[in-house]
Amino acid sequence: MDNVSFLKDLLNIYSPSGEEKEISNYLCEKLNSLGFNTYCDEVGNVIAKIGSGKPDIILLGHIDTVKGFIDIKEIDGKIYGRGSVDAKGPFAVFVCAVNEIKDILNKSVTIIGTVQEEERSKGARYIVGRYSPDYAVIGEPSGTSGITLGYKGSLEVEYSLKKEMVHHSGKDLTAAEQAIDFWNKIEHFCTNFSKGKKIFDALIPSLISINSLNDDYTQGVVAELNVRTPVDFDVEKFKDWITSNKGEGEVKFIDFRPPVRSSKNSKLIRSFIKSIRRHDGEPVFKLKTGTSDMNVVAEKWKCPILAYGPGESSLDHTPNENISIEEYKKAIEILKYVIRSL
Amino acid sequence: MAACIVCEGNIDIPEDTEEGEIIECPECGIELEVVSIDPIELAPAPKEEEDWGE
Repeated sequence: MDNVSFLKDLLNIYSPSGEEKEISNYLCEKLNSLGFNTYCDEVGNVIAKIGSGKPDIILLGHIDTVKGFIDIKEIDGKIYGRGSVDAKGPFAVFVCAVNEIKDILNKSVTIIGTVQEEERSKGARYIVGRYSPDYAVIGEPSGTSGITLGYKGSLEVEYSLKKEMVHHSGKDLTAAEQAIDFWNKIEHFCTNFSKGKKIFDALIPSLISINSLNDDYTQGVVAELNVRTPVDFDVEKFKDWITSNKGEGEVKFIDFRPPVRSSKNSKLIRSFIKSIRRHDGEPVFKLKTGTSDMNVVAEKWKCPILAYGPGESSLDHTPNENISIEEYKKAIEILKYVIRSL
Repeated sequence: MAACIVCEGNIDIPEDTEEGEIIECPECGIELEVVSIDPIELAPAPKEEEDWGE
């Protein structure tokens, strides 16, 4: 198989979250033809197994992207395309690495292509209770020499308030003003909590949207908030605090993805460190402020886990998303060594 | 036993230590990577970077 052509094939199939059917079908056919035992599960995840025996290794990467197709171009050794970094590049590395060592594989490897990671990790939530691997690698860009140990948690909150119209010159706060007051309290709490802390240990709030819904007799407001949470932070207590500060409004906790931080001492990490050095790299540990499918599976699987893949995270979701072919090929070699040494 | 490359303090290296393992100097607290087992060679542990995404 031509590894670069395979990546281009993946990039050519537009697969924003919720529209992964075409890429799932393509992968099922392709991976079956390569000798993987492959099928699509009920939610559209692609499951491809090969090898037998211990350890059981799962390589999990998402096959959806954010919206916005980017024409596939190859310029100056880089491939441009939606998902080249986040995260079809890392996923393609999984397939290519395992494919190249499948004939000498003395362990079980399952490659899982998950759906809707860019939404709320629907695919990862579906499979998490169905597997119990000895090692897991999540396909996300870390750079060829980067090893991602952790991701912050993510709490999604919706605030809403509907009340009778009041005169603007009166002393009562409008619904919009009350929503802003609520947001200011959240921001103040997070700022105080985070004083003197590194970003990974801080609480990072975002006001995603705020919309007023007024008619002749009523005024309403709906705000969507997100708070990125650190490891060992008591989220239930924080939710209680949020509820007690909602004033007249209503609060809904839409979703929570727990934070994750892996130990630096596991056979998996050691294998990556050794492999990166053997391929002339200088290993770097990364802690990310975002989230990935690793947030969903790490807590349940309780096995050595990390995220790895070629590409610059700063290009995620941008119109210039691209990946260096040299890095892509190097990541395949690094992963081949890791799988063989586990 | 090995000497810390920063404070020269004594670090106990158990027999089952593996290449790539991260150990902490009990005297100065710095993290070190075991880059070679025979002979034991220590180097600063990989740096920890904060990054955004995904």
